[in-house]
Amino acid sequence: MKRLLYQLKSIRRDKLCLLTFLLPIAAGLAINLLSGVNLNSMGETSFGILEDQISDETVVWLQASGSVTKYKTEQALREAVNEPSTQMIGVLKAGDGIRTLLSGDELELNKAIADTLPRLYERRAEETGHRVTLLPVSNKNDGLISLLIVITLVTAMFMGCTFNAMNIISEKEDGIDLVNQILPMTAGTYLIQKMLLGFLGGTLSTVLTALVCMRITPAQMFPLFLIILLSAYIAALAGLYIGRFSEGLMVGILYIKVVMILFLAPPIFFLLMVPEGSALFSLSYLLPSSAAFYGLMDLIGGSANIPVKEIAVLAVHGAAWLLLYLPLSGHRKKQRQAR
Amino acid sequence: MMRQGFSQLLKKDFRLMLSGRFFLLALASLVLYSCYIHFVYAKVDQVIYPVYLFDPQGMLDTQSNLDSQDNSGSQGNFGSQDNSGSQGASDSQGNFGSQGNSGSQGRTDAPCDVNSRSNCNSRSSQTARSDYITEVDSREALEAACEDRYSVGIDLSSGTPEFYLLSSGIRTADNYRAIWAQAVLAGNLAGQAEVIGTNSREMKNRREITAEFLFFELSAVGFLGLASLLFKEKQMGVIRVHGILPVNRTMFILSKLSLFLVSDLVFASLLTLINLGPGQGAAVLPAVLLQTGILSLIMALTGFFCAVRLPDFKQFSLLYLILAVFITTPVFLAGQTGLSGGWIDYHPMYHLFKAMKGACFLTPNTQWPYYAACLGTILLLFLLAHRTLTRELAREG
Repeated sequence: MKRLLYQLKSIRRDKLCLLTFLLPIAAGLAINLLSGVNLNSMGETSFGILEDQISDETVVWLQASGSVTKYKTEQALREAVNEPSTQMIGVLKAGDGIRTLLSGDELELNKAIADTLPRLYERRAEETGHRVTLLPVSNKNDGLISLLIVITLVTAMFMGCTFNAMNIISEKEDGIDLVNQILPMTAGTYLIQKMLLGFLGGTLSTVLTALVCMRITPAQMFPLFLIILLSAYIAALAGLYIGRFSEGLMVGILYIKVVMILFLAPPIFFLLMVPEGSALFSLSYLLPSSAAFYGLMDLIGGSANIPVKEIAVLAVHGAAWLLLYLPLSGHRKKQRQAR
Repeated sequence: MMRQGFSQLLKKDFRLMLSGRFFLLALASLVLYSCYIHFVYAKVDQVIYPVYLFDPQGMLDTQSNLDSQDNSGSQGNFGSQDNSGSQGASDSQGNFGSQGNSGSQGRTDAPCDVNSRSNCNSRSSQTARSDYITEVDSREALEAACEDRYSVGIDLSSGTPEFYLLSSGIRTADNYRAIWAQAVLAGNLAGQAEVIGTNSREMKNRREITAEFLFFELSAVGFLGLASLLFKEKQMGVIRVHGILPVNRTMFILSKLSLFLVSDLVFASLLTLINLGPGQGAAVLPAVLLQTGILSLIMALTGFFCAVRLPDFKQFSLLYLILAVFITTPVFLAGQTGLSGGWIDYHPMYHLFKAMKGACFLTPNTQWPYYAACLGTILLLFLLAHRTLTRELAREG
């Protein structure tokens, strides 16, 4: 226990570790501020109109289906429609009806909306009186926000590797590693100490981030905690690997960056691009972060079931990577004895 | 004498870059970016809300047959369409997920393509309804198909149509989805918006992402490149040796700067030409190279300054993290969402990004205050770097 306190003290002095600890929490706070306000308007269709041309009744009709921006001149409207980073549809008056302007670079969705909007406008009187069953969303988090939350959480979990990797590397650089070798400490104790460091850091950072930005039911607490613990443990293992293989600080930082990209990018890609259940999708479970990612996605989507498969995959990963590491640390011990 | 010294410096820096695998890294990122642009981003798209229909009594078929008498050539035949309800259900991708290739998987392919616009119009006026509708054979399949919170279901089993949809979380989008399904059921969606732009969707995507990658590579990676080179020299003690050598400090900075500038220019040209195609690429190249030069000089000088000023690489990487997260991310968000005005106007990197994007879209920034500010910044940074280097050499020597 006392040894662990010493290590925590040395980490506290390290600004990089402190920042990696606080970064996910800051991101969680930022997501909290974002939710509900900005991103909702991103999913809306946006219409641009001329200020004096379109009647109030039409504006109300358009506002029911999207956001409406008014422009003073047709030139300004055309420029706004042409602006490449927006998907704005220009709406102009044409007789009793309307006609639409497009830049031509829009998504298929907005093209179809613009092409058919005049027809929809013509039959606006028939809109009422239909039987519409609109099921509300089960949770308040919409798609993009929950994706952002999960990315932040997974980052926080696997950032845990930074703590012990940096600790090991700086000990190597300062020569403490050599001192350690003549101290009466077994490889097992060393391993557990360093593991605990990354594990505690990762868990604490993730739990705080989850508290800040995630809203879950009590029933989901347990599986969430299990996923966090397992992932932080795997991250700590990854930290051991990084510390073992990098000789200098620069190489270590490079390894951490590569590992973070490797852990974060593929799950996002697989989740968005590959249909669930395909062979390729199952292949993504080879990365521990994918399992954590999908499990969290399920939880945040409001599922009350325990994501057994994901947790099992994480546990298998944890065991396998540890078994792989043990011979390496044994090798280290022999090296020490040889000296 | 001086010229010879400079060429020696250049040679030394070039060798350092080679041994640091700098060019290999640049080549790898060029390949990675180009593959991403070519195979993923250029194809990003989102189809119109798919409409699923459960019509056990075949009501719509009879109605369509009536329609086809008015509208010659109409084929109200839904059976011929691929029944892909289950596929749609298994895809839980939500709104954002329907981008990319998977978006069109298992869904009725939306009829239009920019290249074949005229072609698609005639088609959509003929079979407007069946182009958008996919028929399913049970209420369960209908509900499953709508689980993506993107599709809309129409249930005709009770005689009067019931529109079934799961909220996407956006009120206006839900409203539009409902009236869209009603319009699709009523048929006759022929229409054509006036196209006023010159880019197709694919070309827009290519220009957009090329500008973003260039900005990212130059600001984030360029910054790191020069700094890591300098740290290496620091570690090797080169800076200390320079303190007692009769080498001009200006030369010392200029040699690194020019090497990085040239490599950035080559990188920018290749990325532009590969991803916009030779014709379009050549058209935007002069403007892109101008912005690349400005960005490269500013970032390299900043990197130089930080690397000389900060004692070790760890602190530098801390700064780098802050730069990457808090300086470039807002710029990307703004660039992607078309946000303008407000606080972002005071973000200096935003203007550099806008200029780069403008260059890629053939609307280069022509305002002289911008260029004056860039020139001023570069001169200021150069003086700052020069002073810091002099001080550091004095300390080390």
